[in-house]
Amino acid sequence: MMKRVMALLVSLFFLLSGQAVMANDVSKGLHVGNAGSFTGDAAAPCMEIFNSSQLAVDEWNARGGIQGVQIKHVMGDDALDPAQGINVARKFTSDELMYGVVGPPVSHIAQASLKIYGQSNLACITTAASKPELTDSGYKHFFRVNARNDAHGWNCALFIKKNLKAKRVAILNEKVAYCENMAQQTIKGLKKLGITDIMNDTIVAGSKDFSAVLTKVKAYKPDVLFFIATTAPDQAIGVRQAKELGIEAIFFGTEGARDKNDFIAASEGAAQGAYVYHFSPDIYSIPAASAYIKSYEKKYGSLSGFGPPAYEAMNILLTAIDLAAKDGNISRPEVISNLSAIANYNGILGFPVSFDEKGDLLGGATYFFKVNGKEFEQVAVLTGK
Amino acid sequence: MEDIFGQLSQQAINGITIGGVYALIAIGYTMVYGVLSMLNFAHGELYMIGGFTGWWVLQIFSINHVPVMNAALLISLMIVLSMAVSALLGLAIERIAYRPLRKAPRMNLLLSSLGVSIFIQNFILYFQGAKVKVFHISHLIPEGIRTFHVGGVVISFMRIIVILACFFLMVILTLIIKKTNIGKSIRATAQDIEAAAFMGIDTDKIIVIVFLIGSALGGAAGILVSLLFTQVDYYVGFQAGLKGFTAAVLGGIGSIPGAMAGGLLLGICEAMAVTFFPSAYKDVVAFAILIAVLIFRPQGLMGERIREKV
Repeated sequence: MMKRVMALLVSLFFLLSGQAVMANDVSKGLHVGNAGSFTGDAAAPCMEIFNSSQLAVDEWNARGGIQGVQIKHVMGDDALDPAQGINVARKFTSDELMYGVVGPPVSHIAQASLKIYGQSNLACITTAASKPELTDSGYKHFFRVNARNDAHGWNCALFIKKNLKAKRVAILNEKVAYCENMAQQTIKGLKKLGITDIMNDTIVAGSKDFSAVLTKVKAYKPDVLFFIATTAPDQAIGVRQAKELGIEAIFFGTEGARDKNDFIAASEGAAQGAYVYHFSPDIYSIPAASAYIKSYEKKYGSLSGFGPPAYEAMNILLTAIDLAAKDGNISRPEVISNLSAIANYNGILGFPVSFDEKGDLLGGATYFFKVNGKEFEQVAVLTGK
Repeated sequence: MEDIFGQLSQQAINGITIGGVYALIAIGYTMVYGVLSMLNFAHGELYMIGGFTGWWVLQIFSINHVPVMNAALLISLMIVLSMAVSALLGLAIERIAYRPLRKAPRMNLLLSSLGVSIFIQNFILYFQGAKVKVFHISHLIPEGIRTFHVGGVVISFMRIIVILACFFLMVILTLIIKKTNIGKSIRATAQDIEAAAFMGIDTDKIIVIVFLIGSALGGAAGILVSLLFTQVDYYVGFQAGLKGFTAAVLGGIGSIPGAMAGGLLLGICEAMAVTFFPSAYKDVVAFAILIAVLIFRPQGLMGERIREKV
């Protein structure tokens, strides 16, 4: 009996010590992960995220990598399914040479998998997941370069009231974490601003037919229709069917709609005059981003708003890894503490990136765009005021 | 009050359009079930393939989204070719995945059809990608006739085409089933496949014809919906298949008029439900109706009660 207990204790000791001394020799290799929904309905924005991260990795590698070691960029596809997101997290955390992950970009998948990353101290930087609770859960390993939903929700409410001058608002949201939250936060903001005539209903993603619920919207006669869906194709159908039914309300879409192909072109003119919000500015107007834009477009084609934050996030992650690897050894907790120390990182986003104590982007902003012809025109930036 | 009335008539139009499509899909399920007593889960994929075929036809015959031929001709060509490709695929599926299993337990056929469904979905995902394909149809319909206003109700031109095409196809099918020799043979095979064979009907041929017709109608549904909603992707077949199957059960599986009625009823109920409930509950209402019908009429609306033989 005693022997068995001893054996157990000894093995436990080795297990724990194994956990504690995770510092690896850098020369063994450096892996960074990219968790996202690379197949399924969100495949297009997620591939843009992956390709932009890849661009950053390629640039680091071309400069000689980190401590002379070439960085390997690993894709983890969750197919927009939280269960598969957990598998990706398991795969990444069990890869001993992985020191950080960009993603997951989708809120409900991040929600399902962040705990697993946290248990192994693997740093994650999301570029799009905006559900507030994600950073309110006390995670130390989780950062985001995009503003949170509640910041967006409040800014959108301000925009609806001040810029669009609406008195009656219809809000449709897709029943997933990100959309539902966005709707709640916006409604909270609108009520605070004195707008109480609000219709709140839901849509089903990918169903391709919103005419029944839009008929209901039409009867409500709103000034603004805030269409909170995840993907651009769904919003293209939304704006198209709204126009077809003769809804006169201003169509206001979400960040997913900021896509020239899948929203503006796909709606064949119906999107003219529509508004969308986005977490990143018009990247073409930022001088620091021109090199990135050039190499992205040369290699991967047209760019929407999802790529730039991912390029930034990967560069920030690699900066933290680089710092951690200076002494030739690297461990995951080192990367996390370097990330939280990042201050005023000047990249391509047009504003200095710092994280607050929760891992959120300090001073997050929301950008508003209007569809004009084939382009998005930036019309406002709101920062909660 | 007037508002509610206006809204309900608009919902009726929405419901009839989508209901007609459900009916076309349901017919495929019900016909195959009629002759083989199997659920062809790959049927939804034929719908998806119909949509993709239409997209390719539109793509090939237009330059910068402007069609190179008469728009009416192009739309007809899209529908006909979609039906043809789906029909051929349906035949291939029957030959490769179902006929070798004809004598096997029903469960094997069911699993085989699920396998075919997953295969086709992933095949399309691999070769066509996950991104939705957009139908640029604005050049197909002249500006002035895109929408019609009747009272407070708005009907788009595409909706009219979809409704007319659905009903046209259903009428043709009914005529084939009721008036022709082939129709008679299909009915006989559905009633009793062995007895039909004794009577000199080539039941293998009839099964092939059933797959041909069912798949063609599935393909037609796919292209009609894609024209209406202007998008298709590799995953649309799943949802459509589920709805078509529900409509078939609602109407009484095995009964062709039942499938038509079931599809329309399902579509209209869904649209009406949205008026009174949050739209997330539209499937809840639709399936609650299905359950209620099955409790009180287990054979479905128009299904035949099968008596236990002693």
